[in-house]
Amino acid sequence: MKNNKSRFIVILLMLSMVAVACGGDTAEEVAETPEVTEAPKETLAAPATTAPPPEVIVVWAEEKVATALDPLVGAYEAAAGVDVEVVVYDFGAIRTDVQTAGPAGEGPDVFLGAHDWVGELAANGVLQPINLASVASDLFEVGINAFSYDGMSYGFPYATEAIAMYYNADLTDGVPTTWDDVKAACDAAGTELCVGAPGGGGGADAYHNHPFVASAGGYVFKVQGGFDPNDVGLDNEGALASAEYLDTLVKDGVVASTDYGASMSAFQEGRSLFWMTGPWARNDASAVNYNVGLIPSFSDSPATPFVGVRGAMVSSFSDKKLLAESFILDFFATVEVQEAMYNSDPRLPATKSLFAIVEAADPIAAAFAASASNGIPMPNIPEMGSVWGPFGDALLIIRDQAYGTNEETGVTVNSATDAMKLAAEQIRTAIAGG
Amino acid sequence: MKKSTVLRYLFLAVFNSFIVYAVPLTITFESWFLLSLILIIGLLVNIVYFSDRFLPMKWILPGMIFLISFVVFPAVYNTFVSFTNWSTGHILTKSQAVNILESRTFTPEDQQGIEFDLYVFQDESFEFYYLADIDEQNILFGKAVTNENILDSNFAQHEPSFKQNGEIFPPDGFNLLTGKDQIANSTTLQELSLVIDKNTRAQLFKISVFGASTGLLSSTSQLYTFDESTDSITNNSTNTTCLAEIDNFVCNGKEIDPGWRVFVGFDNYQKLFSNQRIRGPLSLVTKWTFQFAFVTVLLAFSVGLFLSLVLNKENLKFQRIYRAIFILPYAIPAFVSVLVWKGLLNPDYGVINTWLSPIYEILEIEPIQWLKTKESARSAVLLVNTWLGFPYMFLITTGALQSIPKNLIEAAKVDGASSLQTFWRITFPLLMVSISPLLIGSFAFNFNNFTLIFLLSGGGPPVIGSEVAVGWTDILISFSYKLAISGGRGNLFGLASTVSIIIFALVLLISAVSFRYTKRLERIYGNI
Repeated sequence: MKNNKSRFIVILLMLSMVAVACGGDTAEEVAETPEVTEAPKETLAAPATTAPPPEVIVVWAEEKVATALDPLVGAYEAAAGVDVEVVVYDFGAIRTDVQTAGPAGEGPDVFLGAHDWVGELAANGVLQPINLASVASDLFEVGINAFSYDGMSYGFPYATEAIAMYYNADLTDGVPTTWDDVKAACDAAGTELCVGAPGGGGGADAYHNHPFVASAGGYVFKVQGGFDPNDVGLDNEGALASAEYLDTLVKDGVVASTDYGASMSAFQEGRSLFWMTGPWARNDASAVNYNVGLIPSFSDSPATPFVGVRGAMVSSFSDKKLLAESFILDFFATVEVQEAMYNSDPRLPATKSLFAIVEAADPIAAAFAASASNGIPMPNIPEMGSVWGPFGDALLIIRDQAYGTNEETGVTVNSATDAMKLAAEQIRTAIAGG
Repeated sequence: MKKSTVLRYLFLAVFNSFIVYAVPLTITFESWFLLSLILIIGLLVNIVYFSDRFLPMKWILPGMIFLISFVVFPAVYNTFVSFTNWSTGHILTKSQAVNILESRTFTPEDQQGIEFDLYVFQDESFEFYYLADIDEQNILFGKAVTNENILDSNFAQHEPSFKQNGEIFPPDGFNLLTGKDQIANSTTLQELSLVIDKNTRAQLFKISVFGASTGLLSSTSQLYTFDESTDSITNNSTNTTCLAEIDNFVCNGKEIDPGWRVFVGFDNYQKLFSNQRIRGPLSLVTKWTFQFAFVTVLLAFSVGLFLSLVLNKENLKFQRIYRAIFILPYAIPAFVSVLVWKGLLNPDYGVINTWLSPIYEILEIEPIQWLKTKESARSAVLLVNTWLGFPYMFLITTGALQSIPKNLIEAAKVDGASSLQTFWRITFPLLMVSISPLLIGSFAFNFNNFTLIFLLSGGGPPVIGSEVAVGWTDILISFSYKLAISGGRGNLFGLASTVSIIIFALVLLISAVSFRYTKRLERIYGNI
């Protein structure tokens, strides 16, 4: 009996706590309701006097970019009366998470990412087309093209990047103009390794190796008003010839069997004369007295690196698209913001106005830009997902000289030609077979 | 009343407050699944902790809840995904896809790229009006209307008097909005357009807080109109009708992105087993997965057992220190140690080849190209995994060894058994009774040891001549990861889920069989 009584008291106590919880809840609801329904009316009634809660623009960016952008948005917040919330996000996770968070109603309004996401994101319906008309004259064409998919523009390009050739300025004067002369340069410098380039040493990397197969007529996808997934050119005459030439370079010890980490440490320790990589590695390269030149050409054809373009995109699940686009076009695209961004996170500019500033101040950036101008944008169609694996693997086989026979399938790869033909076949079946 | 009872009710009170707090929140976000989950959990907790009859359940209920949320739910969800077409181009629901298609506008070719200053006004009843300053002959003013009212709206009027000497003079009763005001109303403004004629409208596309806002022309009709009765969309720009086919609208044979998610039944399973492209590598990968998991457990167990036997000697000096040293690899996170091993194994600069170089010279052989050839990569993966795994085995066998009654071993000695005989006939079988379930667990873990493969070899080196990209050290789980991100158009989540379901079935089968075998062991040796 006593037990029951005390239990009753406790239950009463609990109910009262529950009531407190409810109470807190409703109190908040009361506070929230005017925000949702009445605030706009108030704005209409007296736009100048009442201060409606500011609109919030959520921007996802990788750490370096976010750190560069965050101090700048204050100017826009003051001028426009909005809150700009710059969220530091893991770069790769932006691509996947906008696709899950957006449809769930929790994604960003604006996000900064790479142009090769565009095909996938647009096909998935999570990208909002942006009208670049007002800023187009200031943009390099490669940037506009990189963000075009299926006839529409999906992003404002703010940075480009492409690989070029670092050289150890203490040991040599520059990069030879053609690959034929590279060996002699290395022999003269007497370094242990000659060219360190990612994509060997067990670490497949099609991106860094693209110039080795695409400089003399090879291509991943034919460009015919957009990339054509049904025309793979990794085993055409030009591609095969340059792959065989790469094979010779590897056999001659010109191109070392290194992955990214190994090529970096070799260059930093002065064990390699050249390092073939992009502008993001400038800090790492500064361990030695470095300079940057063009990637040597393949006899007459200049090296064509993949050009990556970074841009600001708008989520199609944003409920304030007009504001998001205005933020990009009216603020982010201005040369002041672009320059401040560049100063804090240097990448090759995608706007002509910024390039003019950078070119004069930074010859190394200009060298990378020159390299990019020979390149082609990485295909932005989702079919590219079928390319990286086989393409990287084929080049890894060449770079590591890992030729041989597969006992399971009985297929033999004894030359660079075999490897490229196989990769092209793998890509074609992957695209066709789904 | 007992202190524990008070605590229990206090806990319940706090818990229920959270439930009550969460319910309206989930309703606001229309997250019905979460709502039902919260209600079910809330109900269960209350029943268990209130009633005397179910009170003993309180010990397992929290565990059950975590089991359901973190194990059962993901598994069920995974199964669900494996029956869908979830992949690039098909991640939305149909209504989301239709919404996105219907929100698209288009600009007829002759009006493309026409860009002009657009001014926003409000009248006294706070309705919005636009002034589109297209050119001298077209300074168009009118009420801005939403999409639903476009057809009924009056056309904008040319009002040259509103703009004089480059300055805007709003008519009486109209209030010109600054960029900041426009931004405060941007969610309303983005739905509005100024109707210029039957086919053309002007829309705001950039609000400028530093200058004049800009507008663009577009067609008054949206690009796609959805017709529910025929389940089709019409492209108003080209006047073609596109029927819905399974998971896409198809216009003249071309699929319109985005598509949507649908159930595809056993399609993914069928694809996996019938598609030669996938089946070929699948059998190769399955074989290696079994080899990898089995050899790993065998090696790690052998090394661990050997060390624990050696260190189990009584009156061994510094025993604790030795044991601590051997447990160290277990204490370092695999993420770190695997990457360190990757560096050590580098054939050209790695420490391992540097140390082995005298041996290479004596034997006059080429240095091993770690991770670059099939054999070396597989050995490296096994080597590193043994290193990662033996401390665990060492730990559990040490414990199990100490629990074996000493008198049994003494009895064996008295009977004249050699120490080897004692080990194989007495110690080892007794050990297996308590260790074998753990070995099975370890096998199941290594069957899915994605971390190691992904970080150490990335599945490589590539298998020459296979039709999909696959590596010699790829195990099922890393293969399904590759499959998920490198299909025809990128991500094939449905197919990858299917592979993981198959992995689940395999592990289940192996574990069930092994546990049955273990039970037999227990029956034989358990009653010694």
